Amino acid sequence: MTIDMTRFYQVFFDEAGEHLAAMEDLLLELDVSAPDLETLNAIFRAAHSIKGGAGTFGFNDMAEVTHVLETLLDCLRKQELQPTIEMVDTFLRAGDVLKAQLAAHQEGREYADDRIAEVCAHLEQLSTLAPTPPANHRFALAPQVHTPPPSVRWHISFRADAIDFQPGADLAALRDVLAELGQVDWLSADDAELCVWRLTTNAGQEAIIETFAFVCDPACLTISFDDGALHPSAHQTAQEDPGFGFFTDAPGSDHLKQVLEDEAGFGFFADAPGTAYLAQHAADAEEDAAGFGFFAGAPGSEQVSDQEHHGYGLFGGSPGMATVAAIAQQERTENAQGYGFFERRQPLVPTDAVPAAAPPVAPAPVRPAATAADAKRAAPADTSIRVSVEKVDQLINLVGELVITHAMLAESASGLEPLAHEQIFDGLANLERNSRDLQQAVMSIRMLPISFVFNRFPRVVRDTAAKLGKQVTLKLLGEDTELDKGLIERLADPLNHLVRNSIDHGIEQPEQRVASGKPEMGEITLRASHQGGSVVVEVRDDGAGLNREKLLAKAAQQGIALPDNPADKDVWQLIFHAGFSTADKVTDISGRGVGMDVVRRNIEAMNGRVDIDSEPGHGTRITIRLPLTLAILDGLSVRMGNEMFILPLTAIQESIQPTRDQFMTVAGKGRLARVNGDYLPLVILREVFALDAPPVRDEDGILVVVDTTEGRIALLIDELVAQHQVVIKSLETNYRKVEGISGATIMGDGRVALILDVDALARLNRRVE
Amino acid sequence: MNYDRAERTVTTTEVTKEYLTFTLGDEEYGIDILKVQEIRGYDAVTRIANAPSFIKGVINMRGIIVPILDMRLKFNLGQVEYNEFTVVIILNVAERVVGIVVDGVSDVIALKRSQIRPAPEFGALMDTAYIDGLTTLEQRMVIMVDIEKLITSSEMGLVEPARLENA
Repeated sequence: MTIDMTRFYQVFFDEAGEHLAAMEDLLLELDVSAPDLETLNAIFRAAHSIKGGAGTFGFNDMAEVTHVLETLLDCLRKQELQPTIEMVDTFLRAGDVLKAQLAAHQEGREYADDRIAEVCAHLEQLSTLAPTPPANHRFALAPQVHTPPPSVRWHISFRADAIDFQPGADLAALRDVLAELGQVDWLSADDAELCVWRLTTNAGQEAIIETFAFVCDPACLTISFDDGALHPSAHQTAQEDPGFGFFTDAPGSDHLKQVLEDEAGFGFFADAPGTAYLAQHAADAEEDAAGFGFFAGAPGSEQVSDQEHHGYGLFGGSPGMATVAAIAQQERTENAQGYGFFERRQPLVPTDAVPAAAPPVAPAPVRPAATAADAKRAAPADTSIRVSVEKVDQLINLVGELVITHAMLAESASGLEPLAHEQIFDGLANLERNSRDLQQAVMSIRMLPISFVFNRFPRVVRDTAAKLGKQVTLKLLGEDTELDKGLIERLADPLNHLVRNSIDHGIEQPEQRVASGKPEMGEITLRASHQGGSVVVEVRDDGAGLNREKLLAKAAQQGIALPDNPADKDVWQLIFHAGFSTADKVTDISGRGVGMDVVRRNIEAMNGRVDIDSEPGHGTRITIRLPLTLAILDGLSVRMGNEMFILPLTAIQESIQPTRDQFMTVAGKGRLARVNGDYLPLVILREVFALDAPPVRDEDGILVVVDTTEGRIALLIDELVAQHQVVIKSLETNYRKVEGISGATIMGDGRVALILDVDALARLNRRVE
Repeated sequence: MNYDRAERTVTTTEVTKEYLTFTLGDEEYGIDILKVQEIRGYDAVTRIANAPSFIKGVINMRGIIVPILDMRLKFNLGQVEYNEFTVVIILNVAERVVGIVVDGVSDVIALKRSQIRPAPEFGALMDTAYIDGLTTLEQRMVIMVDIEKLITSSEMGLVEPARLENA
């Protein structure tokens, strides 16, 4: 039982997490001036589901917060109150509190913070402002909202033994949770195996299902409308919506029990109240209980499944019903056998023609079309599996081995006579293609769309802008761009810094923007795209741009050496200096001069690079270039004596065959190379690594100009060999970090080649000199 | 290798452990066999820049990068040309895989704890911290080495100090 409990806890944690995320998205989407009722309802539903779950599982602190939240949301969706920015802010904060509470519960703790009380008080205060409108006024608005009008009686029936209770909870506790929705009456005996409850509530049927979903499979549950007499608007609703019409004359619920007693196993229909009747009816008509199968395969059912939220199968998505019926009728003629259900229903389609022969049926649920949030949740659940990253990494390693093994085979086969061994070469070519495809496919497992990071920014931008009194919109482009999961996680922090910086330093105050002829609303664009083998992420703002004079003045003040008339690019790079900040004052958002330095370090740790473009008065663009993955590197193999090294392709600017007069010394020691008019520090790999390779004349080697954090350097090597995609292996697993080396890889001949860390080489070189 | 001894000794009451013995010049060493992953021939290594001389370099062992140490150089037993009889013992110590180059592997022996005598102190002459003790095998002296202690010791420079502290 303990295991069961944790299992359900996990379901609740997952679901609540999803609901919270959905709620936040919807809140951010919400246009306060013209609130969309559907959105408000969706927010309400999310909050409500959390509350239901929290209550059922005894997380009362969460239930309390959501209850207050829900009260205010309820006023909003009933249009008793107009949403305000303040409310949305408070909702978002309540969402944060709930997230913290959820996280605490996941760790088995309880979240205790003043914030809870503060947010609750604020919410309560906001909701007390609500005028209580006369009932009829409220009613007039109701039809737009696709929730059942107030005080509907639902019949809920389920088998008590189908419910997995956590210890300490029982039917009474469940009833208490339900009682939050409305009044609950027990129609069955307390200890009856089949429980039949009547719930008088204004909550939708989905709310009931959600409440139950935490304790039992919704399929074990049958929910139906009670007597229509209490529900004057039912008929009217039906006429508005021909799709439901034929159900509405349902006279009563007496049949419910009968159906349930007959057979509790209408599994896939159970989600849709009332359908049990149809099933029963159909079964009668067919006089063949085994005939249930034909519902699944009924013509038209597929169409509906496609259109509608998964899990509500044939009947759930009422809007598509008419179409189904039509298709069903059409096909019925072709398949005279087995579609009794539709046969009977066909004459029912006109709303007013209810043949006396048809037994009474309960009304179908008036279920709103699946919300976006629902759809989002349904999709991954159906199409993905969760696998631990370790397993994926192991797979990637194995495929890496396969690629290496292939390269070794190819190398041994290269000595063979091609004509005599044609089959071997064909086989090798096939193997190469297959293993490359396999490698790509396996790599793609680790790839995630960048929207995983981007999605947090609407909130960040909103909060930061609000704090600074600025108006900023965020534009996200290329959210589908995929990159390695490891990179995604490490990209979040640097991007956060950049976006906050852009808002704080880039975007001007609204009045200032108007004065300089720009729209009041600033714009920040996050764009991701693939360029060649790398991913480019851009953070662009249309703010003031960087101030060249200010940067130069600051640089002089801090004693950073710069040439007399530095290029713009060099000036912009100044902001990456540690401790460099041009902000006049330090705020809690930025200005300490730490951020950009950390950003650059983080990006460079991912083998990426950062570039800045800025135009005064028009904005700044920061471009981050990242490799697609951390596991593979595009490199150039270079030879030095007998040793092979890999030089990361991203660092290489150019390579040249030097002449004697390009090498020079300063004071007889400091060695320089002149490349295209620039004097670059010369790094001779042989000397830095103390290789025992025979010395080669400088001009017989190759100069490779590489870009490092210490500026450009010229690397002298013996020979450029080939360009490879190499699988990066850590030296530190079994050895230790080696200065000047960022890792190792295995070459085609099975030997290990070390990957050069050009930044460290530049530093090492200074020490050698 | 003679693994039969293992079965014979299991039945004895006092706990016996098995040791792999190898030779380095004229000396014979024994290490706990449970630390040994495999034994293989010497392959060309990739040198590592600015590493101590006894670290020969790294090899690719089925996709794992394994550092190779020369125990002769480490114990100052003079340099020897590697040939086809040169053996690399791949060890699995402190969650890492490390290879040591030795002259040859001689035997697997089972010893009771009481058969291992403490090694005398050499004072400042040499560090005996990683020497478990001495034992006699058919009139030959075998130096029992705590290979894990040796490999992770700071003088080997294999493990970074930070990782040592964590371990």
